[in-house]
Amino acid sequence: MKKLLTLVLCLLFVLCGCSSASNEAKEETAEETKTETKKIAIAYQYGLAYAPVIIVKEKGLMEEAYKNLTGNELQVEWVQMSSGADINNGIASGEIDAGFMGIGPAMTGISKGLNYKVFTNISGQEHGMMSNDAAIASLGDLVGTENQIALVNIGSIQHIILAKALAENGYDAHALDANIVAMKHPDGMASLESGAVKCHLTSSPYIFYEHDNANLYEIKEVHEAWGQDKSFIVGIASTELNSDAELYQALCDSFVAAIDLINNNVNEAAALTCDFNGNTAEVEADYLQRGVYSTETNGLFEMLQFMQDNDFCDKNITSYSELVFDNVKGN
Amino acid sequence: MSKTILSVRNLNKVYQDDKSVILENVNLDVEEREFLTILGPSGCGKTTLLRCIAGFEDYTGTVTTDGKVTKDPDVDRFMVFQDFNQLFPWKTVKKNIQYPLRIQGLKDKDELERIANETIASVGLKGYENYYPYQLSGGMKQRVAIAKALALKSKIILMDEPFAALDAMTRTRLQKELLNISKKTDCTFMFVTHNIQEAIILGTRILVFGDGGKILVDEKNPLAKPVSPSSEGYGEFWDRLHSALYQSDN
Amino acid sequence: MMNRKKALIAKALFLLAFVIIWEIVAKRNVFGSNSQIVFPTIETIAKAFVRNFKVGYAGISLWKYILNSMELLLIGLFLGIFLAFVFSAISMINPTFYEIYNMLVSICDLLPGVALLPVVIIIFGIHRSVIVFLVIHSVIWPMSRNLLDGFHSFPQIYIEAGMNIGLRGKSLLTGVYLPATTAYILSGLKVGWARAWRGLLSAEMIFGIASSPGIGLFINQMRTNLNNAEVYATLIVIIIIGVIVQYGIIDTIEKHTIKKWGMSK
Repeated sequence: MKKLLTLVLCLLFVLCGCSSASNEAKEETAEETKTETKKIAIAYQYGLAYAPVIIVKEKGLMEEAYKNLTGNELQVEWVQMSSGADINNGIASGEIDAGFMGIGPAMTGISKGLNYKVFTNISGQEHGMMSNDAAIASLGDLVGTENQIALVNIGSIQHIILAKALAENGYDAHALDANIVAMKHPDGMASLESGAVKCHLTSSPYIFYEHDNANLYEIKEVHEAWGQDKSFIVGIASTELNSDAELYQALCDSFVAAIDLINNNVNEAAALTCDFNGNTAEVEADYLQRGVYSTETNGLFEMLQFMQDNDFCDKNITSYSELVFDNVKGN
Repeated sequence: MSKTILSVRNLNKVYQDDKSVILENVNLDVEEREFLTILGPSGCGKTTLLRCIAGFEDYTGTVTTDGKVTKDPDVDRFMVFQDFNQLFPWKTVKKNIQYPLRIQGLKDKDELERIANETIASVGLKGYENYYPYQLSGGMKQRVAIAKALALKSKIILMDEPFAALDAMTRTRLQKELLNISKKTDCTFMFVTHNIQEAIILGTRILVFGDGGKILVDEKNPLAKPVSPSSEGYGEFWDRLHSALYQSDN
Repeated sequence: MMNRKKALIAKALFLLAFVIIWEIVAKRNVFGSNSQIVFPTIETIAKAFVRNFKVGYAGISLWKYILNSMELLLIGLFLGIFLAFVFSAISMINPTFYEIYNMLVSICDLLPGVALLPVVIIIFGIHRSVIVFLVIHSVIWPMSRNLLDGFHSFPQIYIEAGMNIGLRGKSLLTGVYLPATTAYILSGLKVGWARAWRGLLSAEMIFGIASSPGIGLFINQMRTNLNNAEVYATLIVIIIIGVIVQYGIIDTIEKHTIKKWGMSK
């Protein structure tokens, strides 16, 4: 028995030692990298809404901007993740320095006290809710029924847009919560087309595909509640990254350049991104033009207030400046 | 003159796989309360005959038990196997004995209790009523199997080398006990064995089978019970059976 | 082998050590300033555990999620086991059916239920029955495999002993086949339950029906909202349910059947 106890104690000891040692090791390497090649980890997701991210990544814009500013090399590690929630956890654990996600998870992360803020707006996209039943023409036809609405997740930006549409049309924001079926965009689209669900609330490009389907009908209130002029995808950076002035500048500059490219030379941009989104260059260019790509936010604080008022996130943020770094314009 | 309890007529058994003939035109009458022991070399068909009588095999010919033609297994012909696994491991000794009675429609709890206790005592297993088979030795399991037959009051108890897998001491003890039991009951026994001594000790009538179930020897046991190797005439009888067996081997 | 008391103490000590190490790591904020979010302390997790049941998510307690999941699991398990018995029994009577069913079992046993989801959704729509279907799928094949193997591998002398005392057809099935295959039935149940439980949780994480919310959806919602302490607390709930089923139910059945009969494999 004594042996066992000693064994356990030894284990504890070693582990404590390890954790402190690894902390020290981290600090050491951090100092080293200051003099040599800079390393940074950025999390991203695929999709039309993230087109500027693909451009920065593929053209090496950030490495270039950093070199112009400092003359030093920058090594960017791009980490693909599948949801804003994953990126939030990555940032919380310190593995990720910057990332791109929907405003829903971004607001959640900030209100949870994660030490990051928005450093740029990325894009606004078209959202909409389609139905496969001609009898469903407005939200009023859904409230109080058991018709199912597919969307990506409970608490996701699509869910919040649905709640906002409900609230703006005089219903309770959570009136359709029990009708929700959570599933990924492509699954939701397949379920809508097969008749497995009645409605699907989705974003571009899926909403484009569904618009093209003559058997589907749009419920207009959703689109009106949050259009492509409003912020949808934002870039966030840790406060630590923000305190490194040159690195932060390089990050921001690279996105200004990427967004400029989409707005001024959509064909070149489309040629870069079309393969990642599985479109031909022509279709990609068309889709890119239907989104709004801008570094300026629009409706960020309005959305946060709506989320706070309707229990989608904690109530603790009172101003726009708590959401974004100083350089970000908009509201 | 006792009545005939079992008669086998023109029984033929051919294996479907290789068309080999196991039993060829076997005819046999067994009288009530007889203890018939059957000796024979391996593959002579003595076990198969028992299985045909029990109803476990297909055959041509007829088996008549107590005046009725019997084809399928039933409780009037109870088989005690060599395999110790013949007890249901999920039932205690007592339940193993009572279960067949329940299946036969006996519902009276007191009666079930009485029969179980009586038969368990008669095979010398008092105190083991609530044991599970895995807790018993091989010899004990065979006793329980015999007790099942006694409880069921089967007309004929078919025993297929039940003691062959036991050690010599246990075997001798069980032979003695079986002899005592057979004297007390009205059952008729058919007991297949390899062992000449066992056949002489137990049997009131002894058969020696040759190939295809051909009956080479069919004699009443001339020796008075209890038989031991020192009994008068034992050696002579043993030699006769042995030479018949040996002859059949060629 | 260690004696039981020693083994118990060793396990308890291990758990204690695990908790202590967890607490030390959590308290030291090894992941930096946001460490509490990804690696909450035991106290935070304990509070989240209570909050899961008291407050839940969007006004629905975790109880409701658990009850929903368990309801679907039990319906599926019951139907799956029942069907496995029916088909395996028919297989014992009809050799042609046996050949076909045996092949079907071998094929389907290899198919993870979650991989079937897209097809199942097209057939059933997004409905609770999808989950029930997945649970049935998870349990029916391993159970059938075990039943078929069991029917063929218990000592055949039980059947002759059963026929000898007058058992026929149905009574032979219930009197001999079932008790003789108990060990196989139980191992089929173990595999089937474990697969069903996992399949259910994965399916609930892939698509969540808000009107019939399950544990998987609860985890997903908590994860989306960065409530990691609640996620850990829910994992503990899942472990507790697993332990109850494994040690409270299956082991108890084993103790009162095959262990008592000296038949455990």
